[in-house]
Amino acid sequence: MTLTAKALDERVGCLPPSAVPNEPPRRAGGGTNRRRWWLLACVAAVVASALPVVLDDHPVIRVDGLRQLVEFFAAAVAPRVDGGFLALVGASAMTTLAYAVLGTAVSLVIGVVGGVLTSQVWWRADAPARRTRDVVGWSLARVALVVPRGIHEVIWGLGLLIVLGRSPVVAVLAIGIPFGAVTAKVFSELLDEADRAPHDALLAAGARRSSAVLYGLVPSALGDLLSYAFYRLECAIRSATILGLVGTGGLGTELLDSFRALVYHEMWTLLYALILLSALADGWSSLVRTRLSGSRSRRRGSVDGRDPVVAGSVLLAAALVVASVWWVRLDPSVLWSDRSARQASMLAGQVWPLVMVDGGLAELLRLAGVTLAMSVLAMAIAFAVAAVLAVPAAALPQLDRVTASRARRLPVLLAARLTMIVLRAVPPPVWALLALFAFYPGILPGAVALGIYTAGVLGRLMTEVVDNLEGRPLRALSALGASRRQLVWYGVLPAAAPRFAAYSLYRWEVTVRETVVVGVVGAGGLGVLLHHQLNSFHFAQAATIVLTIVLLTLGVDFVSAAVRRSIR
Amino acid sequence: MAGDRVFELRRASVRLGGVDVLSDIDLEIEAGERVALIGPSGAGKTSLIRLLNGTVAATGGRVRALGCDYRVASTRKIRAARRRIGTVHQHFDLVAQLRAVHNVNAGRLGAWPFWKAALSLARPFEVASAEAALRRVGIGDKLRERTGDLSGGEQQRVAIARVLVQEPRVILADEPIASLDPARGREVVDLLFAISDETRTTLVASLHDLDIALGRFDRVVGLRSGRVVVDTSTADVRAADVAELFRTDRDGSS
Repeated sequence: MTLTAKALDERVGCLPPSAVPNEPPRRAGGGTNRRRWWLLACVAAVVASALPVVLDDHPVIRVDGLRQLVEFFAAAVAPRVDGGFLALVGASAMTTLAYAVLGTAVSLVIGVVGGVLTSQVWWRADAPARRTRDVVGWSLARVALVVPRGIHEVIWGLGLLIVLGRSPVVAVLAIGIPFGAVTAKVFSELLDEADRAPHDALLAAGARRSSAVLYGLVPSALGDLLSYAFYRLECAIRSATILGLVGTGGLGTELLDSFRALVYHEMWTLLYALILLSALADGWSSLVRTRLSGSRSRRRGSVDGRDPVVAGSVLLAAALVVASVWWVRLDPSVLWSDRSARQASMLAGQVWPLVMVDGGLAELLRLAGVTLAMSVLAMAIAFAVAAVLAVPAAALPQLDRVTASRARRLPVLLAARLTMIVLRAVPPPVWALLALFAFYPGILPGAVALGIYTAGVLGRLMTEVVDNLEGRPLRALSALGASRRQLVWYGVLPAAAPRFAAYSLYRWEVTVRETVVVGVVGAGGLGVLLHHQLNSFHFAQAATIVLTIVLLTLGVDFVSAAVRRSIR
Repeated sequence: MAGDRVFELRRASVRLGGVDVLSDIDLEIEAGERVALIGPSGAGKTSLIRLLNGTVAATGGRVRALGCDYRVASTRKIRAARRRIGTVHQHFDLVAQLRAVHNVNAGRLGAWPFWKAALSLARPFEVASAEAALRRVGIGDKLRERTGDLSGGEQQRVAIARVLVQEPRVILADEPIASLDPARGREVVDLLFAISDETRTTLVASLHDLDIALGRFDRVVGLRSGRVVVDTSTADVRAADVAELFRTDRDGSS
């Protein structure tokens, strides 16, 4: 089975440099032409998305808001640092970390079980009589994971809040369920890709299916799974913060409270804590993944239990899980309490049958169009910012001679990397609230907020692409005396551009899902309406919107996958 | 169960992707026999081995192994039969990431419930029998080594140790020595015969080495283009038959 480009992209970050998919050989002629058409289509999409903003005769920029923006950034140099507040920030940071850790742990459990159940190897008929059952089972398992994957953490959070009430379980499950569905997909592909021979040998010796998968396939997929889990932990910190904005507690909740009260210097303390937490998680995850890919290239795809960094990290993660349960006083009994059961049946009763939103299908489609346009603009912003940041942020380890110029460049490199960390550490709703200072509500502030945030994520992926480029062409250019700028234009960008495009297309789908998040603070599209409907307990209409978003996500996923296949 | 008959193939055929891999195989193997499968590359030796342990399904005809008809038997019956058939593979097919003890214990998976298999990965069960098996094949000191770190010869021994703890009634060996140098290959053959003697196990091995096939085994089955063209005791085998078996098209057809 060949991996879809999407799955590879979802696993980005867990791949060792050597396994970063190389482009297959170019098809002569046609490829260039096709790429030109797609480029044209992209430009057309961006222009079409920007057109309503440009043509609208309402003012776009709020001049009076700019002063607030200046005030906000001026407060950066004077964060609130008194002991009492710092203690609160520390405790909130712990809560956010705890949610992220527990959410990742839950997602791993769902991912491993779901991954086995959605793998082809598990359902491969070994007796002809079971073939039909196997095909049905595999299809059901796949379908069962599509919906949780298409729904954003925040929507899970809002739904679970209604059912379970205020409980740490809400945040943990809101992260764990959608992350688990994605992890399941990745794990199933890892299992299906792994060498089947040891597994088949076990089946041939009479082992049951479960034991054969456990002994024959899991060990070889475990290293990649571990890598992926650490990558997801890093993502979970961001999700846990965003969930805080809908009231599950932690840094996000505090951030929103300070924002509402317009106490900027408190916000900055919280933002610094968030950036620090994010940077630590990024650093930890990169360290573990580098070690794992290092051990993989040394010794054919193994988890090297003897690597002290990896072993220590796994132990530390396990300890963090235990500590997190204690810190948030996780009480899973709300899951089977009478109240939760009543709320769940109430919610189910009100969600079904679905009710069309006020304004009918036309309004729904218009809002879907706005959401789509917002995501396209966001991606245009993200792509531009990320590409500009990624090149200076790359260390270019391919040019292995340590030169004086590299040391001189270090400040630039660190500045670019820090910028990207800040961009992705600040949750999109906070960017949206800031954007609402500068712009009148509409599609633009949402697009700017999502674009800035996505630039941080995308920039990191792009930096990895540049650092993993084939070294020989670059060394050749460098040997003939090319300056760094020439190296970038002649060596780096041409080679990296297709992967840049592929990652951007992949993130486009994620961004469509995330439009909900900026909608929560009123930045336009389906998200705003969803938020209104939920606040006024119109659950049936809310469900219609969620379904629309899932369908929109699937559509974008389909288009983006088709384009990626076509430009490869 | 059909007496002492281990395998019984009636007009068994395997067609994969429009190619006849095996055609109309009629073959009976009795308990205690030592059978060498010979034939040129691509003749279908590996497919025949896989047909015998049920990892390839016959597209025509019938295959019975230890009284179990793979085509109609339930999954449970098939597993029960497979448990009694140990296979040694050319490329060992071990799990490189696991320690040797787990790869040996994997031979017991057919007899173990899932929970026991899972717990054993954390803290190995039945270490004594695994260690005894590894000692029997001459690498008792490698018990805790990571299997991927062992040499080719050592890995083949781990694979044989796995079959030992499986305690099968038949050992199938698919090119067991093709990945080894001649000296190590001979040692491995000696080992397989010694085990077959001690435990009165039927032995079926596909081999490229004609000296070993004709010198050590009781019976040879020669395959060519997916058909059995030679099936006789090694004492009666004629040089002309063997030459015909390995004739290439360049030798000029008669």
